[in-house]
Amino acid sequence: MTEFLQILIFGLVLGGVYALMASGLTLVFGVMKIINLAHPIFIIAGAYISYWLFKLFGLDPILSLPIGMIGMFCVGVVIYKLVFQREAGNPKFIEMTVLLSFALALSLDGLLGFMFSNTHRITSPSYATEAFIVGDLFVPKGQFYAGIMSILLILALWLFLRYSRIGYAIRATTQNRDAAQLLGVNVTFVSTITFGIGIALAGASGALISFIFSFFPAKHWEWIAILMSLIVLGGMGSLLGAVLGSLLLAVIAAFVGDVFGPTWSTMTFFFSLFVILLIRPQGLFGEKLE
Amino acid sequence: MSEERKVKDILAERKDYERNLISSHTKKGSKKFQILMILGVLATFPLFQIAGFQFNYVLHITLYTFMYIAMASSWNILGGYTGYVSLGHNLFFCIGGYFSGMILASYGVSSFITAPAAGVVAMVAGFIVGFVTLRVRGPAFIISSIALLMMVKILFDNWDYVGGSNGISLPQMDLPAQFIKIPFYYAMMFIAIITLIASYAIRHSKIGLGLRAISQDEVKAECAGINTRFLKILAFAISAFFVGLAGAIWAEYLTYMRPNIFLIILIAANMVLMCILGGKGTVAGPVVGAILLIAFNEFFVSQFGASEINLLGTGIIMLLALIFFPNGLVGTLRKMGRLPQILDWD
Repeated sequence: MTEFLQILIFGLVLGGVYALMASGLTLVFGVMKIINLAHPIFIIAGAYISYWLFKLFGLDPILSLPIGMIGMFCVGVVIYKLVFQREAGNPKFIEMTVLLSFALALSLDGLLGFMFSNTHRITSPSYATEAFIVGDLFVPKGQFYAGIMSILLILALWLFLRYSRIGYAIRATTQNRDAAQLLGVNVTFVSTITFGIGIALAGASGALISFIFSFFPAKHWEWIAILMSLIVLGGMGSLLGAVLGSLLLAVIAAFVGDVFGPTWSTMTFFFSLFVILLIRPQGLFGEKLE
Repeated sequence: MSEERKVKDILAERKDYERNLISSHTKKGSKKFQILMILGVLATFPLFQIAGFQFNYVLHITLYTFMYIAMASSWNILGGYTGYVSLGHNLFFCIGGYFSGMILASYGVSSFITAPAAGVVAMVAGFIVGFVTLRVRGPAFIISSIALLMMVKILFDNWDYVGGSNGISLPQMDLPAQFIKIPFYYAMMFIAIITLIASYAIRHSKIGLGLRAISQDEVKAECAGINTRFLKILAFAISAFFVGLAGAIWAEYLTYMRPNIFLIILIAANMVLMCILGGKGTVAGPVVGAILLIAFNEFFVSQFGASEINLLGTGIIMLLALIFFPNGLVGTLRKMGRLPQILDWD
């Protein structure tokens, strides 16, 4: 029983972090129908920012989170304006944006690899290697803090979307872009802001994973497929779906990893992605993907 | 105007005028002649090697270009003509390579003999994969192709029969090191030529017309009576065949097989980028794109060393090509009306 609980806790905590990673991605898709294959490389960029802030100034990754988020927000806005905005009216929009984000991911991969080389890095604040001992259970402090921060950030995001004016505008654009435009929402502005928020969330989750996983520039390919599987299960565009999908899949992957071995736990994500795309492409809460 | 100009005079004048129009543009058959000339020159490269000039690097680069011409052209059949962007296409590269490589390692049969079989195996795999994944369209298809690639990479990394992630060494051919590249050179040239012929044939046939209809609007194509499911799966299988062929020869050329050589996403990115640079959906596009991209790559490597700058360069070129030349070089030239005859294979 203890082992079962142990694995469940691992899965849930990790799922929280994955949920934060996926939330930015699903938000961007919901508002602009952009499948941002470059999202994971922004996560890694955020991780690098935290890593260097920790190494050079001793700033704790969780405390330096706001800095990373603001920086990445600005980066996101600039990238949207430079790269994605011009595709807005294109009939082949989805195909073009996928290819564009793919090219963006390649470029950033090369840039980060060139600037920081491909060595595996990991931030090491003191709590990264400690753990809470609760009875027979062993809860790693680093992952626990990361999970809590992720939940807080997702809650903040949800409150923002629910109660602020821009949040209303974002939700309106997600539901029906044309209708929102007719009602006076400046969809270009909303799109830009949302992309910035999405990348800021990526930066935040990067800061959090910087002390959980060791990262290097090429790791983003692994995460693309994992994140895709999370949001496809939950339904692309749905925040609740992203959270539920992440928790569910992370727990299942943890159990699979325990039974079959660690290499197969990543396989769970890819396999479930494949299966869901064939059986129910819209996932749990999403709209029909066309 | 004198009434004595008879009708047949006017008709004769008209005929002359039209003949002049045509001959001011092309001479009949000059395009085929030019292409055959280029192929002839390329076929003589190995003779320089035999004659003792140090042509090994040139042979390697040209061989590499032929391989990518074949792979990009066959990707084009699925991605360009049909409009289904598959970012995991080097899955078939791996299947073809491993099939031939394992037979070579276990039974010593050269991959020149088993390459067609490897192509057929890749084609069957393409059939099955296409049958399953072509039920979804657009972005779901792209994501599922990436997921499939990742899954197969994990499978191959853990499969001890083919050596897992360490791979297997393959025996070399029994030729002195000077001449060892020559059979591969001709093999790759042959593969590139037959892929281009197939691509041209598809483009100018009813199948090609059906595929183009699917890329424009699949629902309307289905309504018009085109059997979209059959055509899509056929395109997938054909495009997998040539990639598998190339993979088989490449495995023996490298004399080493590892999942990391065949299943990295950079190869798929290269295939896609070559088609985009050259012109998706045209016959000559992938050729132009392949030559350009390999030239860029060699230039970057010679200037900056084989570091990550390559990846950055490839990514930036792809971004610029997508933003400013979405129709690729051939497509944009055709729109401007300045496409040289030798590239106009449509």
